[in-house]
Amino acid sequence: MPTLPEQATTPAEIRKKSGEGIAIRWLDGHTSTFGARFLRGRCPCAQCVSESTGQRLVSEEHVAPDVSIESARTVGNYALHFTFSDGHTTGIYSFEYLRRVCPCEDCA
Amino acid sequence: MADTAITESKVLDALRSVMDPDLGRDIVSLNFIRNMKIEGPVVSFDVNLTTPACPVKERLREQSRQAVLSGVPGVSDVRVNMTAEVRRPPAPEASRIKGVKNIVAVGSGKGGVGKSTVAANIAVSLSRSGAKVGLLDADIYGPSIPIMMRSSGEPEMKDGTIQPVEAHGVKLMSMGYMSGEMPLIWRGPMAHKALQQSLLGVNWGELDYLVVDLPPGTGDVHLTLVQTVPVTGAVIVSTPQDVGLQISMKTLRMFQQTKVPLLGIVENMSFYICPHCGGRDEIFGHGGAAHAAQALDVPFLGEIPLDPAIRKRSDAGMPVVLAEADSASARAFTEITGKLAQQISIQAFRNIPLTIIEE
Repeated sequence: MPTLPEQATTPAEIRKKSGEGIAIRWLDGHTSTFGARFLRGRCPCAQCVSESTGQRLVSEEHVAPDVSIESARTVGNYALHFTFSDGHTTGIYSFEYLRRVCPCEDCA
Repeated sequence: MADTAITESKVLDALRSVMDPDLGRDIVSLNFIRNMKIEGPVVSFDVNLTTPACPVKERLREQSRQAVLSGVPGVSDVRVNMTAEVRRPPAPEASRIKGVKNIVAVGSGKGGVGKSTVAANIAVSLSRSGAKVGLLDADIYGPSIPIMMRSSGEPEMKDGTIQPVEAHGVKLMSMGYMSGEMPLIWRGPMAHKALQQSLLGVNWGELDYLVVDLPPGTGDVHLTLVQTVPVTGAVIVSTPQDVGLQISMKTLRMFQQTKVPLLGIVENMSFYICPHCGGRDEIFGHGGAAHAAQALDVPFLGEIPLDPAIRKRSDAGMPVVLAEADSASARAFTEITGKLAQQISIQAFRNIPLTIIEE
């Protein structure tokens, strides 16, 4: 996997939109908008992705359509952590990961 | 008639020509000039730098003096008082340690490269320059800071927080205090809890710098550190040997991946001066760390000789920067500390606020 430039994985602004999800404007000017269900279905934690095979165990279709983000906080300098309304809290979403899964038309 | 009065704004205009070489901005717009007084033809003011360990302090003093003398007509004397106030990098308040401005991690790729010695000498050096300094020994597998700093006594619990020990003007906390003479045989979750408690449960008070001596390599303790607090930056200690460097790179990349700025690489055991003939021997090769720093675009902070005095002074509990302050080894540490403090100041001015705006 080619490494992304520093500017592409460093947030300039992070917004939590209540009921909708998270919007990140990156230093390279791009903006990514993530819905709560989208993020919950792409949780990188060991309960959601098999540690030995890398196979995804929990994806969007396993998640309630009305799941929401109850709270969001930063992890050190490099990631975000979410508490989802279904009680799931174990994912640490690095900025690099978030940029890679950006769901916008240009990136997807 | 020309206006010949000496005014504050004329002095400030003259001082705008003086640049801070690290921050790349003039000292007026950086808000360094404080307490200006104009008494007849004599002008006095403070230049408030970002660190008391600033290596270009005297140069800035002289440049400021000259700028006012030559730039403002009528001035006969300029008195420049150099002061310092360590700035904190922008980061959310919630995840920081109260009162601690900068957290500096000291890591290495493998053990035995002198990481703790470097951490102890940097901490004492910063403290000698006038900064308020803490040193957290997070090396659970080989906590050596209590020996190197000859701290007697142990941290005490008071009102639910741990009171750190103090030695050579530095506040100390070590994982070594948690078990006395017994080894710490911990699985990850225990190490995680112990480090969190050492970071957040200690009454550090007001600190300009908290130096964290990490275990070698990359592991639980490193992850906990970068996830618990916003680390200002990391220093990598390496020997010149290539194999050491190959491994150091992994530690370096770990910090990159977790977006901890790299403040620089220190080459330890760089060379040996024979006490009998004075000849210089490069036992582990030479310059490896400087090359790596250049290739990776990371500042090279300097090299430290393989000097028996460093080892002896560490074993005796008084770091060489204190015990033999005028020795070449002590000067090497002081120079490295100055460069490191510059890099920390640069990070403090790099404005990337990491807060989540709730809508």
